[in-house]
Amino acid sequence: MKKTFSVNLGNRVYNIDDDAYMRLKEYLDRIESYFSDEKEREDIINDIEMRLSELFSERLTASRQVITLADVDDSIRIMGDPSEIGGVKGKSEPFKSHERYGGRRRLYRDPDNRVFGGVCGGLGAYLDVDPVIIRIILVVLFFAFGVGLLVYLIMWIVVPEAKTTAQKLEMRGDPVNASNIGNFFREEFDSVKNSFKRKK
Amino acid sequence: MLYTLTEKPNTMDFENAKAQMRKGVLEFCILSILSKNDAYATDILNTLKKSELIVVEGTLYPLLSRQKNAGLLSYRWEESTQGPPRKYYALTDKGKEALHELESSWKELIEAVDSIISSN
Repeated sequence: MKKTFSVNLGNRVYNIDDDAYMRLKEYLDRIESYFSDEKEREDIINDIEMRLSELFSERLTASRQVITLADVDDSIRIMGDPSEIGGVKGKSEPFKSHERYGGRRRLYRDPDNRVFGGVCGGLGAYLDVDPVIIRIILVVLFFAFGVGLLVYLIMWIVVPEAKTTAQKLEMRGDPVNASNIGNFFREEFDSVKNSFKRKK
Repeated sequence: MLYTLTEKPNTMDFENAKAQMRKGVLEFCILSILSKNDAYATDILNTLKKSELIVVEGTLYPLLSRQKNAGLLSYRWEESTQGPPRKYYALTDKGKEALHELESSWKELIEAVDSIISSN
C-alpha cells in the first residue's frame, strides 16, 4: 500500500504515489534553480509541466490510474537533466543545499547535532565550521587553560535551543520560506529513513 | 594513463562546441518549422525528433522562451480536443526576417565549409 497525492500538472489532475511525487517535485525544483531570469523561468516551467502532463496522460489507462515512480523516471529521462536543458545558456549554478542566500544567521544550540547540550553543533552551524573542530578546540582549551568547561556551561545556559523548524533554518542561515521548510523536511525525512535502513 | 589526461579537456571542448552548434541549428529549425505552420511545442518536438536533431525534449523550451522574449515568436492559447488548451507558437514579422537572414547565412556557411573540406 502506498500513499498518493493529487496534483495539478499543466491543468490536469493526477493521482501520484508519494515517492513519485517527491522525485517530480525535486526535478522541477532543480530545473527552476537553473534559470535566473524570472520571466524565462516561468515560461519554461509552465511548458515543461504541460509536456510532462501529456507524457503522463499517455501512460494512464482505464485500468491504471496512478502515476508511479517508474512513470516519473521515464518522463524525466525523455525530458532530460536540468543541466542538459539549461545547457550552455544556464548561467546560474545549480542549487546547492549549503549555499546561503543572505539569510541572517542566529546562534542556537543544535539538538540534532549534540554531544551534551548542542553548543558546539550550534556554533558550527553559526560559523559554518564542522562542529568536530569546535569540539576539539574546546577540549584543548579545557586542558590548556581550564576555561573550556566554564565557557561551555555558560553557553549551555545562555544560548537558546533551536526547537522549531524556523529556528533551525535561522541557525543555518537559510531564509525561512515555504520551499526551504519543504527542503528541510525532506532532509529530515531522508535522514530518518537512512538511520532506519542502517538499523535493519 | 597519460593519454586520458591530455585527451579529456579536448573531448570536453569538443562536446561544448557540438552543443553550441546543435543549439544554433535548433533555433534555425524552430523558426523554419513555424514558418510553414503555427504549432504547439509537441508538434515542433515531433518534427525535430523525426530528424534526430533533438536528444532530450527539455532543450526545446528554453529556446522557445528565448525566441519569444526576443520578439521572434508570439503565442496564443487554443482549445484542444484532447485535454487542456495548447500554447500555439507563431512567427512574428521580426521572426520572419530573422529566418530569412539565417537561411542565407546557412547557405553561405555550407558552401564555405564544403569548399574547405573538399580542397583538403
